[in-house]
This record gives sequence, C-alpha cells and structure tokens, in this order.
Amino acid sequence: MNPMIIPKAALDDWVRLLRSSYRVVAPRPLHGQHVFGEVGSASEFDLGYPTSVLPPKKYLFPAREDLLKFRTDAQQVEATIDGPRTVVLGVHTCDMHAMQLLDRVMATGYSDQHYLAHRNKTTLVSVECLKPCTAGSFCKSMGTLSTPEVFDLHLTDLGDAYAAEVGSDRGAALLPGLKAARPFADKDTARLNRVMSEKWPRFPLRLEFDVTELPSLLSTSYDSELWKELGERCLACAMCTNVCPTCYCFNVMDEVDLTLKSGKRLREWDSCQLDKFATVAGGHNFRTARAARQRHRFFRKGKYQTDAFGLLGCVGCGRCAEACLVHITPVDTFNELYRRQHQPAAATPQGG
Amino acid sequence: MSAKPKIAFYEFTSCEGCQLTVVDSLQLYPELLEAVDIVRFREAMSEMGDDYAIAFIEGSCSRPSDEAPIKAIREKAALVVALGACAHLGGINTIRNRHDLGEVRRFVYGDKAEWYDTYPARPISAVIKVDAAIPGCPIDRHEFVRTVKRLLQGRAPELPDHPLCVECKLKENVCLYLRGTTCLGPIVRAGCDAICPTYGDSCEGCRGLVPNPNIEHLKEVLTEHGLSVDQTLAKMTQFLTYQVMEMEAAGHGDPQPAH
Amino acid sequence: MVTALKQTLIDPSIYLPTYGVVRNVRPMTGMEKLFDIALPEGMSLGHKPGQFVEVSLFGVGEAPISICSSPSRSNGGFQLCVRRAGDLTGLLHTLTPGSPIGIRGPFGTGFPIERFRGKDMLFAPGGLGLAPLRSLINQVLDERSDFGRVIILYGARSPAELLFTDELAAWKARGDVEVHLTVDRGDENWKGNVGVITTLFPKVEVHPRNTVAVTVGPPVMYRFVLMELLGKGLPDGSIWLSLERRMKCGVGKCGHCQINHLYACQSGPSFSYAQIKHLGEAL
Repeated sequence: MNPMIIPKAALDDWVRLLRSSYRVVAPRPLHGQHVFGEVGSASEFDLGYPTSVLPPKKYLFPAREDLLKFRTDAQQVEATIDGPRTVVLGVHTCDMHAMQLLDRVMATGYSDQHYLAHRNKTTLVSVECLKPCTAGSFCKSMGTLSTPEVFDLHLTDLGDAYAAEVGSDRGAALLPGLKAARPFADKDTARLNRVMSEKWPRFPLRLEFDVTELPSLLSTSYDSELWKELGERCLACAMCTNVCPTCYCFNVMDEVDLTLKSGKRLREWDSCQLDKFATVAGGHNFRTARAARQRHRFFRKGKYQTDAFGLLGCVGCGRCAEACLVHITPVDTFNELYRRQHQPAAATPQGG
Repeated sequence: MSAKPKIAFYEFTSCEGCQLTVVDSLQLYPELLEAVDIVRFREAMSEMGDDYAIAFIEGSCSRPSDEAPIKAIREKAALVVALGACAHLGGINTIRNRHDLGEVRRFVYGDKAEWYDTYPARPISAVIKVDAAIPGCPIDRHEFVRTVKRLLQGRAPELPDHPLCVECKLKENVCLYLRGTTCLGPIVRAGCDAICPTYGDSCEGCRGLVPNPNIEHLKEVLTEHGLSVDQTLAKMTQFLTYQVMEMEAAGHGDPQPAH
Repeated sequence: MVTALKQTLIDPSIYLPTYGVVRNVRPMTGMEKLFDIALPEGMSLGHKPGQFVEVSLFGVGEAPISICSSPSRSNGGFQLCVRRAGDLTGLLHTLTPGSPIGIRGPFGTGFPIERFRGKDMLFAPGGLGLAPLRSLINQVLDERSDFGRVIILYGARSPAELLFTDELAAWKARGDVEVHLTVDRGDENWKGNVGVITTLFPKVEVHPRNTVAVTVGPPVMYRFVLMELLGKGLPDGSIWLSLERRMKCGVGKCGHCQINHLYACQSGPSFSYAQIKHLGEAL
C-alpha cells in the first residue's frame, strides 16, 4: 500500500476513530516523564516524546498477568487468555526491535499462547526517531535506529503532518475512515527523504567497536575483572531489567480467595539481578554473587540471545542506563571490555 | 483448618495503628469475618477472649515487664504473627537503642524518669519464636489478608525478598533520586506497592532490609546525592536501627560477597 | 488411542496442567515419600529417564520433580519420589490416595539411553539423586541384555536416609548388578561402608572407554565424583549428570534455570560432562 499523509490537525479525529474499535495507548507526559497509557484524545499524548519509563512491551507481556483460574474444591482449571484489541501509538524503533526479539522468543520451542494472544490483538504504530532521546541511548550503534519489518504502521514527523507507511494488514486497517488522510504526493516523498537524511548525523555512534563484534567480545570477557567491579557497585535493585524492553523472565505464583475455594495462577516479571532468582527449593543459590548476576545480564543482552535467536538482546534504548543509581550502563560496560582487551595497559576502572 | 480459626490481637509498645489498619482490612475484605473468628481485638470489640489459635502481636518489647505476657501468648497460640514494624523490627522505638537510656528516659519522662523500667527495644522475635511477620508502618491491608490466607492454607507466609525499587519502577514513578531527593528503596523490602514514593515521599525503610543489601554502596549513592555521612546514617535509624546494629554486631555491614 | 500428555500443552496454554490422581503414597524415609500417580484415561506420560514433570497443587503453586519410575514399567502411571523441602513439597506430603494433582510435562531431554546400549553402566547416585536414576536403572535392567556390566555406587548421609532399600536389595540379589552402598555416618546396625560416595570408587575397576557413568546428586558431590570418573579415564562425553536448577516454567521461558546460555529445562537437566565442562555456571 502506498504511504499516506496524516495531517497533525487530524490526529485527534484519528484517535477518536480508533477508539471505537480499539483500546488506544500512547506515551502520556507524567511528572516530567512519559508513561504509556490509555488515551482519549490527541492532547493527552506526545508522539515526540524522548523515552518512556517502561517500554510498550508491557502490552504484550504485562508486568502481572493471569495465566490460569481454578477451583480447589473441584477439578476445574482453565487458561486465562484474554485482553483488549489495542493500538500502541508511538513505538520507538528500538522498542520495535525488542518486540521482534520477544516475538521470536515466545514462538520458539513451546509457543507462549498468552503472549501471542496479546500480540495478535495489538497493532504497533511505530514512530521514526528524529533526534537522540536520552544520554543513555545508543540505538545507532546497536543498529536499531530504523524500524524492523514487524511494524504495522510507521509514522515520520514531517512538521505539520505524519508520513504513514503501512507494514501490514493490521496497520492498513487503521486508516480507512480517516477523511483527512491522503495519499503521498511527490513533494511528500521529497520531504520524507529530507527528514531522513537530516536525522542520521544527529545520532552519535557510542560504541567504540562494531556491534557485530559484541558476541565475540563477550565470549572472551567471561573472566574479566570488570564483572567484579560492577558487582561491588550493583545494588541488585533490578531497575535495569524492569525497564528493559527485551527482558522477559518471570515468576509464577498462585493466589486464592479467602474461602480458599477458588483462585488463579499468575506470572509476574522477575529479574536475574534479584538475590533469590536462581535459588532452588532446598535453598541452594546458583548465582549468589552480584558480579555473576551482572555478567549474566550482559551476556544475555550481548551474546546468549544473539546465539539463540539471531537478534541482539540489547536494543540501545538507554532506559537501564538512565535508571541505574550506580551508573552501570551497557555502553560503558561494552566499551570498557573492549578497551581492556585492546589496550590492556591503558585500562582504567569504569567511570561513574 | 476446617473450623474457623480463632484469632486474637495483642499490643505492646506501639501506636496500635497497625490494628487500625486491620479494621480497615475488614472493611475492604468483609469476607475475612467469614474466614476467621476474632476473639480479642480491643480496637474493634469489647470482649476479651483468651482461647485462640493465632495471635497477632503489635508493638515491640521495650521493658522487662513485657516479656512475661509475650511468652504467655506464645504458650497459648499455635501461631504467632508479628504485626507491623514495631513487632517485626522493633520499629521506631529502637531509635533510642543507640543512645544512653538514662538520658532518653529523662528527655521523655522528665522528673518521672525513675518510674519507667525501659530497656533497649526489641522485635518480638528477639523474645519468642514468631511464625510470621507482617512488616510495615503501618502494615499493608492486602498483605495482612494475604498472610491470613496463607495461614488458613496451612502454609508459612512468605515476604517478598526483592527491593522496593522493583514495585516503584513497575508503577512508573519518577525515581526520587531523579527528583533530587534520596530514598532507601534499593535496600528495603518491597510489598507495600511503593506507597511512599508513589506519593512523592522517600522510603524510610519501615519494612526492613532485603536479604543481602548492598548498604556500603548505597551509602556512596546517598553521599553522591548530597547527604553527609551523619545524614546518611540518620536515614537508616528510623526503622532499621535494630537490623543494622545486629549486622554490626555480627561484624559485617554488607554480608554478601561482591563476587 | 493414547494421547501423550505433552500434546495438551499445544492448546490452549503451555502453562495449563492436566489433573492426575494420586493412586498410592509410600513413605520412604523421614523426608521422602513415593507417590504413584495416574493420568486421565487415554493419556500417557510418554517420558524418558531423566525427564521431569511440573507438579501443581492449585492454590499453592507448581514445582519441578524428577520422574523416578521407568518408562518400561509405566503401568498406566508414573512415580515421583519427593523430599519435603519447601512449601509445595510439604503440602504434597499430606496428600492421600485419591487426591487430585496437576501435572505438566514431561520436560527436559532425558538421558540418551540409545547411546548407552552395548556399554557397561556405572551409576553413582548420591542421596535423593537415586530417584531420577532409578528410572534409568530399571529401564536398563528391563533391557538387561543390551548392556554390559551394571554397577551402582550409592551414597546417603545415614542408613535411615537410603532410598529404595527394597529395590537395592533386589538389584543385588539378581546377581548381574554390582551394588555398593555407603553412608556418611553409620549406626549400630550398619555393617557396610562408611564414608562419602567417592570412597566406593576404588572398589570397582572399569574399562574406561566402554563405560558410561551416570551420576545424580547434590551440587557439592559432582566435583568429587567427576574427579574419580576422570581419574579412571572415562572420556568427558561418557559421563552424564543431572543439574538441579529452579525450573519454574519447564518450557524455556521464565529464565530461572539458565546455566550460562542453556536452559536446564530445555537442554537438560541431564547433560554430558562434555556439554557443560566449559560453562562457568554449571558446576
């Protein structure tokens, strides 16, 4: 389908139109940050937002989600697979890459029907990033500054209007009914190309090496002293994994009502940074040291996920860097590992 | 348990605010009254039954004369639950533990100081074995109900052992450190749904420390955010005095190996 | 037609257990009970030795437990030997025959018994490690002529903690199984070997290149048993073990059981030493 032009003045009409068939969520300003939440009109959100506290992953993989409901006084148990049809407006390209990875993870081996049900009911409207969002972000280095092919509809801010490129039937289904939308004209193509060529130089390359070297850099850094240094600083607060768009580890627990006769099983985001994450029933903890937990986190981001799913586990969104109180960041960590291997004499403790 | 278990509430050195929160829980979860039989609860009823299976004790043990009644409850109850920060950690009563008690008594009671036999405040678990604790100042209503459910199931209640930051971040609050203030969230046990930071107040640690807190490095973070060493230590005295002093006595401020 | 239990995970949910029923409960020691579980009519577990199931008590939770019965003796059900170690297993111990129980699985790769045929088998379980190994041992004994020597070196902390003592006696009585027992601490009636499991290894001689060793036990045991086996000249790929991890979901998603890049629930928990010797988090 040819690209369309959506005038910014029509955004409000569009949201109201979408709301007749979907729950519409978008980045809402809140206390100086942006938080994805349900919106009713265009005035409630900002598609030019820098970043969101939690990634839009939360609509595909909620922080807390029912899996089963059961009765304990009868042999009755059933799966809870539910959720509203949702349009997520304003997904950054880094988060799109993250969701592409989650799609692979959740459909590989045993398919996670709960995730896939949300995924199938969700239309992702991504938005082109035109300037770096935070000091922690490094999308250009990670190759996530363009949207991957899994987008449904992709918007680029052209000033007074958005260019809307359709990536799927689900995305195409969002446009009929919006009278103000019009097909691309030649001048729109020129405008889009100008915006695109102007944006790239604004983004710095922050890794001191090519990202394709990251998995091999990590495999030769397993015994680096750096992990110990990170372990000494790490507060094990798990903020890094909670804000990560590619983390998906979870815990499962049961809840019963006060009659003890019925209840539900649910899952909740968990974190490899937490003290008890790898502890078995007998009490043995297989990853006690914070150093080992940080190493595990960075290996998942830069190597394990790549080896298993062919995509990097870090998309350079920078959320963990912004959240960390002790300044442990992926850019500094990866660069420091690289420096220690390539300029061993000049190696210094990681800054911060 | 098939018959409704009989439960009783007791109070020692405390404000009884946790029992008020239990009253609140009863309004939120009226079905609690179908699940248990309350025989003693002076915040809500005048009867004083003393035949019970589960005793909830609020308050810390802060004088020698508290010990006998606390032990008597243990004798009688199948299960004893410490209710709230004072019973769980000694609570704010333990602030005095780092001071000369004679001076503290004179400061508080003036010329009546001699009338009182106070000693360093302790959590209930320092006097008797407790089967569970519900942390917080005050307790969280939902956690109280969760605890009751676990006990009804015949299971030992479990506290979350992750730090407050987890819950706070899931609520997408602005981190208080980003607002230019400080917070004990990274080393304090979650379970309150980050209620204080959600309303813009820093966590003071009423739920106690997580297992293996990295206190040493949190002190550096607090210093980086403008607190002096004294202010940093003061930050940890309100609710954490007993736990911190115990760790000091055991010879490690930070029991977890960094690597 | 018999449906494999695993088929039930395809729809609607990989997390939805199937109700089985406890047929029999047999106390084994002070800490362990043996549960015999039947699946619904027309359904079979279809497991391999070394695999595990996720056991559910609704309202309490779910826990991974090794299957201790042999596929060759399925008898319409399967068995789990459960140590009382936590919340869920504590309540499991209160179950009586007729109790419903949720089951998902079987999960994991299991031991590749087809690769063991024609070899001498050396089993070295420690403590509760005999439970998963009993599944493999009985399968081997049911196909006895396919294997060479069968040697069992079993260690427990005390005589009272030895599991499956009746079967150990029966294996010994067959005449074609070499059984050596040891306990860390004996008692007045114990006349056998006293010492940790490694004290049994000097008692047996093996052909290193025609022997497969399978060892299952607590994490601390592996380092010492491996030294014994490597010392006898067994190649890394002929030594098999089972790594206990927190296999919360069983389906390679939740992340708790990860050993470096491997999910124990998917790639294990049975591994050859060759597979894991380079993994920093394995042993």
